[in-house]
Amino acid sequence: MLSKSNIDPKIIEEILKFSKNVIDAPKFVSAPDEISLEVTPHKVVQQIDKTRLLHYKSINKTKHKTPLLISYALINRYHILDIHPEKSWVRNLLEQGFEVYMLDWGTPTSMDKYLDFDDYVNGYLESSVEYIKNQSSTEQISLQGYCTGATIATAYAALHPENVKNYIATAPVIDGWKDTTVISNLAKHMDADKMVETIGNMPPEFMYYCFSVLKPFEQGFEKYVKFFKNIDDKKYVDNFLRVEKWLGDTPPIPGELFKQWIKDIYQKNLLVQNKMYVGDELIDLRKINMPMFTQVAVGDHLVSPECSMPLHYAVGSQDKTLKIYPTGHVGMIASSFSQKKILPEMGQWLSQRS
Amino acid sequence: MQSKSSKDSAESPADITEYYKHLSLFWTDIIHLMSSKPQALTSIGPMRAFAANSKKIAVELIEINENLLGFNQYITEYYKQLSDTWGISQKKVNQKVPEIPQDVEQIESVKRLWIDIFDNDFTELFDSKKFGANYGNLVSKELELTKHWNNIANVILQSVNLPSKEEVDEVYKEIHSLKKRVSKLELELKKEKRKNAK
Repeated sequence: MLSKSNIDPKIIEEILKFSKNVIDAPKFVSAPDEISLEVTPHKVVQQIDKTRLLHYKSINKTKHKTPLLISYALINRYHILDIHPEKSWVRNLLEQGFEVYMLDWGTPTSMDKYLDFDDYVNGYLESSVEYIKNQSSTEQISLQGYCTGATIATAYAALHPENVKNYIATAPVIDGWKDTTVISNLAKHMDADKMVETIGNMPPEFMYYCFSVLKPFEQGFEKYVKFFKNIDDKKYVDNFLRVEKWLGDTPPIPGELFKQWIKDIYQKNLLVQNKMYVGDELIDLRKINMPMFTQVAVGDHLVSPECSMPLHYAVGSQDKTLKIYPTGHVGMIASSFSQKKILPEMGQWLSQRS
Repeated sequence: MQSKSSKDSAESPADITEYYKHLSLFWTDIIHLMSSKPQALTSIGPMRAFAANSKKIAVELIEINENLLGFNQYITEYYKQLSDTWGISQKKVNQKVPEIPQDVEQIESVKRLWIDIFDNDFTELFDSKKFGANYGNLVSKELELTKHWNNIANVILQSVNLPSKEEVDEVYKEIHSLKKRVSKLELELKKEKRKNAK
C-alpha cells in the first residue's frame, strides 16, 4: 500500500521547470564562442610585439583636450571594460566626451618569458604614451590603471610624471602585506623562482585555480543554478555569458614579470616602501605629483581596499581624491552601479582637469 | 648502547629511498662501465649515445620517485584540509537545519544557508597560513616533478639532434635583450624627432 507523500507539489514543479530550462538552454542561448566581446568600435593604432594600442571611435564630440589611456590588468583581457553596451566603461567615457585609448597586453607565448616590469613600464606603456602625445599634439595624457594594470601605471607615473596630467588608480595592487585576500595568501607562499625556471610563463591554469578558491560555492554552484533558472531572461543571459567568456580568457603572464610581481609586491612589499626597482630605476611613489583619483571597492575579494588605499597616502600629489564604493572588483568597472555612480563621478573629476 | 644494525633498521623512508637510489645507481654505473667495451664494438658511432642517455633517464626516474614521496605527503594534507573543512561546515548546516525542508521556500533558504556557511569556512581555510604553506609546498613538488619530466624530454630531444629547453631559453633571452635595446633606441629616436620638430 502506498503511503501518502508529504512533498510539496511545488518542489516537483520547480525541479521539472529547472530540468526543462537545462534541456532548452541551447535553443535560446548562444554558445560563448559565438559571442563577440568587441563592443565599441575601435582601431588598432600601434602594435609592438603582442601588445596593441586601441583607439576608440568617438561617440559624442570630444570635449576634453587631454586624451585618456587605460592600462588594463595583466589578468584576463581588456574586454571587461567594454563588456556590454549598457555596462561599458569605455563607452560611458566616450559619451562624456573623452578621447579613449586602451593598452591590450595581448597573449604572451613561451618566447616572451623574459619580458619584465621594465618592458611593460618603460617599453610598452611609454611607447603608447609617446604615440598618443604625437597624435594629439599634447605634452601630457591622462592615465588610468585597473588592478594589476594600475601597478604598472603607478610605476609609470612615478618614473615619468612629466607625461601624466591626471592619474586614476582603480583597485590598484600596491601594499601586498596589507592585502587580506586569498590570492595574496597563495602568492605569499609561492616559489615564483621555481615556477618560472620550470615552466617559463605563469600558466593560465594557475589563475583558474586562484579564481576557483574565491567564494567557491557561490561562484561554482549557485551562479550556474541562477543562470539556468533565468534562461528566458535575454538580458541576464547575455550579460552572464559575456562575463563568463571573459573569465575563461586568461592569458599567461610573462615569467620574469610574474616573478618580480610576486616577490616585490606580495612577498617583500617593496613598492609601497619606495624600494622597488623597474629596470635600473627606483620607484619613488612621492614623485607622483599630478592630480590623482583613487577608486577602491569595499567588497573587492581580489584586491582588498587595504591593499589599494595606501597609494593615496604614499603619493606626493596635493590634489588627490580617494573614493570608496560599496561594490566588488568587477562591479566597480562593469555594472549598472558603475554606470550610475562611479563613472559620472570620475568623469566630473577628470573633466575639471582635462 | 644501541648497535649500528638496530639504528639502521629504524631508518626513515627518505633514508630507505636514498639507499635504493644509491643501489640502483651503483648497478647502473657498474653495468654501464662493464658493458662499455663490448658495446663500443657493437655500436657504430653515435649509437653509443643511447647507453649514456638511458642512464640519464634512469637517474631522472629514480629522482621522480623521491619527489613523489613529498608530493604525496602534501597532496594528502591538501585533501585532508578540504575534507575536514567540509565536515565542519556540514555539521554547522545540520545544526541549523534539523529537519528536512518541506517546501520550495524552505529549500531555498537551506540552500542559501549551506552556500554561506561553506563559502565562509572554505574562505577561512584558503586564507589560513597552514593552507597557504601546504599549497605552496604542493605546487613546489609538482614543479620538481615537471622539471624531471623536462629533463627526460631534453635527453630525448638531444638524442634526435634537437635543441634542449636550456638552449632554446638562451636564444629567447638573447632575442629579448636585442629587442629591448632596439625598442629603447627607437623610442629615443622618436622623442628626439619630436623635440627637433618643435
